[in-house]
Amino acid sequence: MMARPHLSLGDATVFVLVALILAAAVFGNLLAPEATFSSDIGNAFLPPDAQHWLGTDSQGRDVLWRVIAGAAPSLLSSMLVVTIYSLIGVVVATLATVVPRWLDEGLMRGTEIGLALPGVIVAMGFASAMGPSLASAVIAMSITGWPITARLLRSITRQTMVAPYVQGAQVMGVSRFRLMTRHVLPNSLDVLIIKWSGDVSITILVLGGLSFVGVGAQPPSAEWGAMISDARSYVSTAWWTAAAPGAAIALTAVSFSLLGDILQRRLGGAGASGGARS
Amino acid sequence: MFDSPAADPALPNRFAPVRAAAPLVRFFARRIGLSVLTLLGLVTLAFAMTKFIPGDEAQVAAGPDAGPDQVEAMRARLGLDAPAIVQYLRFIWRLLHGDLGTSIVTYQPVLRDLERVLPSTLELVAITMVLNLVIAIPVATIAAAQGGRGLDALTRIAAAIAAGLPVFWVALMLQFLLGTLARVLPISGQRGFGVTVPNWTGMRTLDALLSGNPSAFLDASLYLVLPAATLALHFSSQLFRALRASLELAAASDFIAPVKAKGASTARILWRHALPNALPPVITLAGTQIADMLGAAVLVEAVFARQGVGAYLANAVAQKDTFAVIGTVLFVGAMVCVVNLLVDAILLATDPRLRAAELARGGRQ
Repeated sequence: MMARPHLSLGDATVFVLVALILAAAVFGNLLAPEATFSSDIGNAFLPPDAQHWLGTDSQGRDVLWRVIAGAAPSLLSSMLVVTIYSLIGVVVATLATVVPRWLDEGLMRGTEIGLALPGVIVAMGFASAMGPSLASAVIAMSITGWPITARLLRSITRQTMVAPYVQGAQVMGVSRFRLMTRHVLPNSLDVLIIKWSGDVSITILVLGGLSFVGVGAQPPSAEWGAMISDARSYVSTAWWTAAAPGAAIALTAVSFSLLGDILQRRLGGAGASGGARS
Repeated sequence: MFDSPAADPALPNRFAPVRAAAPLVRFFARRIGLSVLTLLGLVTLAFAMTKFIPGDEAQVAAGPDAGPDQVEAMRARLGLDAPAIVQYLRFIWRLLHGDLGTSIVTYQPVLRDLERVLPSTLELVAITMVLNLVIAIPVATIAAAQGGRGLDALTRIAAAIAAGLPVFWVALMLQFLLGTLARVLPISGQRGFGVTVPNWTGMRTLDALLSGNPSAFLDASLYLVLPAATLALHFSSQLFRALRASLELAAASDFIAPVKAKGASTARILWRHALPNALPPVITLAGTQIADMLGAAVLVEAVFARQGVGAYLANAVAQKDTFAVIGTVLFVGAMVCVVNLLVDAILLATDPRLRAAELARGGRQ
């Protein structure tokens, strides 16, 4: 962990990809022409050509522009999901660290129960019960996603609490709450950031899956899973309508997963690799 | 410790087998206790789901075509005017009697529907798990032998990409490329026209084998290739990455140096010494993968129109058959609990280090 490694070509590529995808997510909707969202049946299912680089879909909408416009609902919602459940994880881990031992045990038992359940299926149940929509999927995934983060953070705070500098602060009479927020939690920030990036990669796959089976974003939306769901019936005649949004999901998922690997190398965070569950 | 008769070597130790087994019994008692708690958590979540339903719960449970009488009958059956805690207890009571609700699409008890579709999913998950292990373990070990060059670098990149591919999209693309364009594999369903086998286990490949019908076996297998390959691509890339990392750790550990000094070949070091030590965490991962496989099977079964639990769930979602959805979630969750318990038992039986740790832990308490 001496000097930070130089920016390699591979790392630079990943940074550029992530930046481009983020730009599409933030500005895509503003840049996309009106026709991206309105149907023009006369031009349906045009194969890729010079005018429509990725062809047109069942409603005659340009697939490339829809994929770009879809970055916002796909990526930003995934980021929102991971951010919400990471915060829940932080709260649970913090509580577990400061409360009496029996309550810590209880919280961690609850976390273990959450880990033992099939998260995707439970999220599907919640989203379906609330009525299928992108918001339902986001809520459902947020309330089922936190256990891994909570357990990871708790294991780190357990180690940090016995570190000399924390014990020193304790001797000086720093309150447990202040100890936690000012001394212990900042120490796990690196791990949290690395995990956040890797989790966005997994979440975007799950969100796409939920939309694909119909409990997430609904048809007119350009969310990538919903686009694939819409294109499903036409794959044999217009493969590009399904291929393009799927490639977008894959590119985004791989980019964020690699970003997580790079951050892990650069920040030197240890033990953040426990989150490889989709 | 010193007053224990077993500590006295002069006395015959009649209780030794019982003593040796006690920590294991305690381990499983604790483990089963945790499973029961998990089931209770699952049931509570499922109950919470029914409370998340916007609008009239009784109307949703009775179905959109139900008349006012039927809706009122459903309201009485679900006891919706009782306090929430009473409703919760009644919910558990009904589950204990095997009542997972009634489907508003098939008009059948959800449990009976699930019993019908379960074998197909078990068949798919079992084949996927076999492929998963058969691909990931040798590829990771062979890649490790190359130590960062050639095949190792290549498989690392391939696995990183494969892990990022959405399974439902891979399913659609494989269906299109190999089924529709190349016409080498059937694109949907689970049996060819006119092919019949007796329905003994419900798993068509197994039924075909048991009834001695090779052509039906081939037929059923062909229908499994695409769904199983789709799932295996995703899960074996995960497993590969975990095992590759685990092998790196094992190969760098102290016990490898003397083996190397004795002149063992790289292949022997990897297969005989590093691999057995690198496997346990990977088996744990494979166990947790089963839960994820059931989740992914929902998507894959829907694409390939297999009559499994996943397709049933996807269908129930599409038909807004909410109580069938919740019943299926409960069912799959319970299955995952049982699988987790089995994986722990397998790990305990195969890894002496873990067994020793558990024995020590049991002795301490």
